[in-house]
Amino acid sequence: MEMTKKYWKGIDELKQTPEFIKHKEQEFPNQQTVEDFLADENLAESSTARRDFLKFLGFSVAAATLAACEAPVTKVVPYAVKPENVTPGMPTWYASTYYDGASYASIMVKTREGRPIFIKGNKDFGFTQGGTNPQIIASVLGLYDSERLTAPQANGSTSSWSAVDTAITKAIAGAKKVTLLSNTVISPSVQRAISEMAVKLNGEAGSKFEHIQYDAISYAGMREANLLNFGARIIPSYDFSKAKTIVSVGADFLSTWLLPTEFAVQYGTRRNPEGEWMSKHFQFESVLTVSGSNADVRGMIKPSEEAAVLAYMIKALGGNPGFAANAGSWKAAADKAVAALTKSKKESIVVSGSNHVGVQQLANQLNNLLGNYGTTIDLSTTIELHQSQDAKALQFAANVAAGKGPDVLIMMGVNPVYSMPNGAAFAKGLKSIKTSVAIASHADETASLCTYICPAHHQLEDWADFRAKSNEYAVAQPTIRPLNNTASALESLLVWNGAAARGGQDSAVAYDYIKATFAAINPTGDFNFLTHNSCVSLATTPSAAVYTAAPVKDLPSANGTEVVFYQKSAIGNGQHANNPWLQEMPDPITKVTWDNYITMNPVEMKGKYATTYDQEHGLNMAKVTINGKSVTLPVYPLPGQTPGTIGIALGYGRGANGEKIGKAAYQTKEYGGHALQENGQLTPIGANAFALLSAGATVSYSASAAISPVDGTYPIAATQIHHTVMGRDSIVRETTLSIFQNREKDAFNEGHKLQKLDKHGDHVEAPISEFDLWAAHPVEKIGHRWGISIDLSSCIGCGSCLIACQSENNVPVVGKDEVRRGREMHWLRIDRYFASDEEAAVGTKKDKETFSYDDAEIAALNPTVVHMPLMCHHCNHAPCETVCPVAATTHSNEGLNQMAYNRCIGTRYCANNCPYKVRRFNWFNYPSYKKFTEVNPAQDDLGRMVLNPDVTVRTRGVMEKCSLCVQRIQATKLVAKKEARVIADGEFATACSDSCPTNAIVVGDWNDLKSMIREKSEGVRAYQALEEVGVKPNVWYQVKVRNEENTLLDKIQVAEAHH
Amino acid sequence: MEISNIQTLKRIKSIAFAAFTLGFVAFSNFAVAQGEALFKAKCATCHMPHKNSTGPKLAGVRDKWSSGGAKEGSIYQWVNNWQTAAANDPYAAEVSKWSPTAMSAFPDLKKEDIDAIMDWVDASPDPATAGAGADAAAGAEGAATATEPLEEENNTWIWLIMGVIFVVVIMAVGGVRRQLKIATSDNEEEAEAMTYGEELRALAWKYRLQVGLVSLVVVISIIVALFQSLYSINVMEGYQPSQPIAFPHDRHAGINGIDCKYCHNTVTKSKSASIPSVNVCMNCHKQIDGAGKPFEGQIKKIYAAAGWDKTGMKYTGKTNPIVWNKVHVLPEHVYFNHSQHVVVGGVDCKQCHGDMTQMNETAMVQPVEELNKIEGNIKLTRKTLTMGWCIECHSKKDVAIGNGKNAYYDEIHRRLKKDPKLYAQYLNNDGKITVNELGGWECAKCHY
Repeated sequence: MEMTKKYWKGIDELKQTPEFIKHKEQEFPNQQTVEDFLADENLAESSTARRDFLKFLGFSVAAATLAACEAPVTKVVPYAVKPENVTPGMPTWYASTYYDGASYASIMVKTREGRPIFIKGNKDFGFTQGGTNPQIIASVLGLYDSERLTAPQANGSTSSWSAVDTAITKAIAGAKKVTLLSNTVISPSVQRAISEMAVKLNGEAGSKFEHIQYDAISYAGMREANLLNFGARIIPSYDFSKAKTIVSVGADFLSTWLLPTEFAVQYGTRRNPEGEWMSKHFQFESVLTVSGSNADVRGMIKPSEEAAVLAYMIKALGGNPGFAANAGSWKAAADKAVAALTKSKKESIVVSGSNHVGVQQLANQLNNLLGNYGTTIDLSTTIELHQSQDAKALQFAANVAAGKGPDVLIMMGVNPVYSMPNGAAFAKGLKSIKTSVAIASHADETASLCTYICPAHHQLEDWADFRAKSNEYAVAQPTIRPLNNTASALESLLVWNGAAARGGQDSAVAYDYIKATFAAINPTGDFNFLTHNSCVSLATTPSAAVYTAAPVKDLPSANGTEVVFYQKSAIGNGQHANNPWLQEMPDPITKVTWDNYITMNPVEMKGKYATTYDQEHGLNMAKVTINGKSVTLPVYPLPGQTPGTIGIALGYGRGANGEKIGKAAYQTKEYGGHALQENGQLTPIGANAFALLSAGATVSYSASAAISPVDGTYPIAATQIHHTVMGRDSIVRETTLSIFQNREKDAFNEGHKLQKLDKHGDHVEAPISEFDLWAAHPVEKIGHRWGISIDLSSCIGCGSCLIACQSENNVPVVGKDEVRRGREMHWLRIDRYFASDEEAAVGTKKDKETFSYDDAEIAALNPTVVHMPLMCHHCNHAPCETVCPVAATTHSNEGLNQMAYNRCIGTRYCANNCPYKVRRFNWFNYPSYKKFTEVNPAQDDLGRMVLNPDVTVRTRGVMEKCSLCVQRIQATKLVAKKEARVIADGEFATACSDSCPTNAIVVGDWNDLKSMIREKSEGVRAYQALEEVGVKPNVWYQVKVRNEENTLLDKIQVAEAHH
Repeated sequence: MEISNIQTLKRIKSIAFAAFTLGFVAFSNFAVAQGEALFKAKCATCHMPHKNSTGPKLAGVRDKWSSGGAKEGSIYQWVNNWQTAAANDPYAAEVSKWSPTAMSAFPDLKKEDIDAIMDWVDASPDPATAGAGADAAAGAEGAATATEPLEEENNTWIWLIMGVIFVVVIMAVGGVRRQLKIATSDNEEEAEAMTYGEELRALAWKYRLQVGLVSLVVVISIIVALFQSLYSINVMEGYQPSQPIAFPHDRHAGINGIDCKYCHNTVTKSKSASIPSVNVCMNCHKQIDGAGKPFEGQIKKIYAAAGWDKTGMKYTGKTNPIVWNKVHVLPEHVYFNHSQHVVVGGVDCKQCHGDMTQMNETAMVQPVEELNKIEGNIKLTRKTLTMGWCIECHSKKDVAIGNGKNAYYDEIHRRLKKDPKLYAQYLNNDGKITVNELGGWECAKCHY
């Protein structure tokens, strides 16, 4: 029987629900018919009668005609004194560093006329090697948040720095106990300032001052385990580029775990099947994560089974875990992992995402057993991030809650009211503290309760230094003068310690202090050189630590339904919840925007919750109760979720009391404005799951829970089945490593062939490329031909490209309601396909009587996943171009499908004719219509500053789509022309290729015979999506190669090759 | 006074010497001319005869020194090397405190040269007093030239009156004819019944084919004319907004010959040519303050913007950017890059902006006829700053391709030659590769 894999975007598609079928045939869902419109009762309330409307129309036409005949006076204001390094109209790039307490990366900041407008990873310097994540790229928007505090606050009202400083200094001097609660401080300068403060306040042996580090997401379990096994609370550095076998037990290391900006880059270098070798990735997890979706073999486990999986592997490899481990349904996957680990001793990595000391101890034991320490895991170079002291912080919070807090509490970079398990109790106790100070950017959940708020600079306004790893010292330099009357956190600490005086808006206090720190750390170093590169390597001493076995303690146990609390790649721990770009970024796996939900395997949902839904009616709700605390959230079907477990994302439910944390952090109404709760307060998005966490010695990110259905449905905005590419089979191509290595191209990447007549009049088969729909464009010979190659093997689906594209191309944010209507505007979408093994192959039909898609559901329990970024394919035979009645979309000599917005009259024929569904229509004037005031940054005077001045902001009624970053093409060409040289390969980068941490996206000039894109397009893995349509796109995909023994897939492809 | 007398003597001596040797030259003029030349070459960067600038004013400086108690000859020493003089002479030491800017050393200037300079300086008239009359005259002259632009002669009313007369005549003749017809008609009733309208309709019906065709042609012509006129609407041509500072381009670029790129210095680097920042103005206007001139007020505006304290000769640090009115305004959906055109295309500023060296008023968008008069310009027909104007130029301007001067275009040329048919087709049109043949007419070249 001929079989092929069945790829489906969502359960609706798998089951072919009536709603899905209805929507897939409409390019623009939810179109109102004329009857609907006229039947609208609201219409009758409208004060404009038809005749009046016509009068208005006539008047406006006349008025517009008259107005157009007069040139408006445009003002132009040159600099009074032009800064030396600013050329108006040209970008200036600065190397800097990003750290927000969770994510860390060396970055490049693009500024225009002194405004930062784009952030990308620094590929030349820093150990992150250009890796970023969506949050880092989107952080530039946070700079222009109009709800950031603009001045220090005292008791809820605006104050001045001198008043606040005097009061705080006095309070510190008169206090018996001063506590500084901060997130992990990796700044050597801030560490120095804090120790100076400790020396001053504590003297020889006093205990007046205490510094407690506490992170929303804790890695204390790992540090404690390493204390037991290696004698120090360290986190070693991992090198995934050296690991032939990667086993991750619940660690989403590609997206959220530990240091994903570095790990994703390392991982990406070994996912190329054409390379020297390809790594083999095993993932054991409960919620399907980004890492799990990329795994070659994925085992579904419950969080309570993490220890058992590790113990099973230890035992299989000849070790003694110290307790008996019963294998579960994951045994097959674990056996495969053991087999692979056996073959790659000293060249493997085992990581665990658990915060339980015992589980981390088992991971250590396994790594030691495999001899990975000293090869893939480096104990000498330590990761300095994530130093949360869980026990101490939680005890402190409990003391505060009990009214036994310090006299002065300074909080820096933390939001304990929101992110601590006992945040609510802490909030009550906080009010009884005499002097509470928050160094924060917003009057958030915690800061709004404090006596004083000392607003800190945004990262892009501030000097800062970092030591994220023991072997690297990095600095962040300001790329804009502070917009508000804020101050560097470092300066505030120094001022309160009497070590410095306030420097005002152009303060050099932090700069001078950091310079001194650098001189102490690296006496021969040049500070200018450091700022140019943003970082410098430091020598480390080889670690003498040796693994010592220690009895395993603190293992998780559970009964009933187990909940996993995970982070989403866009929202993370919730500190960027007010960033509309991130809120609207579809989750890499569920494709849900703007929301929080309970993930559950559709197999388990049967009978209790609707497994399919349409955007109108929404999802069923459920209540999750843990230790008497509960949240009510919609239940979302997630194939791959371990049965018996559910997942809830952290980072939602920000601003539960309507705190001013940013407009986009709250739910909005259908026709604009914030949705208010019954008590008149703003409605937060989702629920705060931090409140459900429990803690032993360390905070646990899993728990046993009771879950029960609740009446009612909740509308949700998911993009997974939007823009479905209809009924074609050549969208995703996938194979296994063994087939790829041992078979000819046709076995895994057979091109489409059509019949044609040869010169003798005989029927012969010829590849699709030989057929032309229309006369060919001359793009293959003259000038440039720009193209994109996307490697499905190395694309991890993280979403960085999507946010980078949004930032570069002024893509509007449309809000949840519009996303529900299928009107999201992203130029680049990442299609996530689940794959099950059952479907009739092309050209064959299954027996309609006996066939049922329900059979596929077994595969849907734990499907494999393919991420596929999709943007305009710039077809050389573009179907959109031929149907435009006004020639607003045309083809260029360089192979670009160009869009002239001012010519477009909005017929939308082009979008209907696009086989890839990549065209987006401006249904509204997003930069001014009231519906988008809360979500679209372009409506805010400050938010508008983030717009790229080289790209037009589109107006209502026009089509738009990926332009292949034509502004960057033009800029690259111009630089080459001015320097009288040819364009070097790799010189041109689109926003998406620039930001891809795994370099999956390659762009370039296809007419340059030596270019990477040419090589990629001619490789054995290259194929074009929907090749058979004959549109000759300029985008190539590289067949996804999975490093697994998939016998079924092998069989199919071998059979087809023989066929 | 003593020194001065000695100088006078010396001068007489030198005049006598010159008279003896050269005989027929106008000797005093010679010495003064030499002084002027030396002053301009060596001193004028920092000194002005009658006014303090970077250095103090020089008129009467010898008298000032001698009366101030300077040692004899110390002023010459000062010019040669002020540090030596300051070390020797307490007066010179005092003088060295005048400004934070130290004076350059001029060891090559002989005593005679210095005297020649000083003589010229002393002899040169003080513009603050002597020049007043002349400037007043110049002002009057300026007022005379700045007459109101002539009203364009409007002949429309003549045509209107003539049209009315014609209509009256036609009506009258028609009436007479009708009366005659009625009078001569046998059937009075029939004639009575036919009104003007009925008669016309009857006629139209009779010749319905002709009438239909004519009206069709008329309607189409009207539509075509309407669209033609809509296309030719151009609000930019001749646009000349008033400016906060009346900046005369002719004086700067014309009379003083300052290169466009000196002030508009980002034109070769960036998409915008940039209105220069005030610090660029101050490079020259620190010295040229226009004191006593009619335009002194304009220059004061620059000082206000730059935060320049004229009397103290220093910056106060309080800057105040000038808000100009943009002259050449492109719509926001148009991307235009100056450096592309100036550096890569080698297009002269004149091609689009006209001859700014002749533009004695504030800048304006030149009509295309004016631009066409300029030698070397590509002659265009469409209105300035319209899209038609851009693409017309793109179809006429050739690209220097394959001449070995620009490796980028050499590569393009190499690739182009791979398609000989297309290449020949490009060349056959006009013997050159024009901008549009390389994609200069494509939408996304300017719209994105």
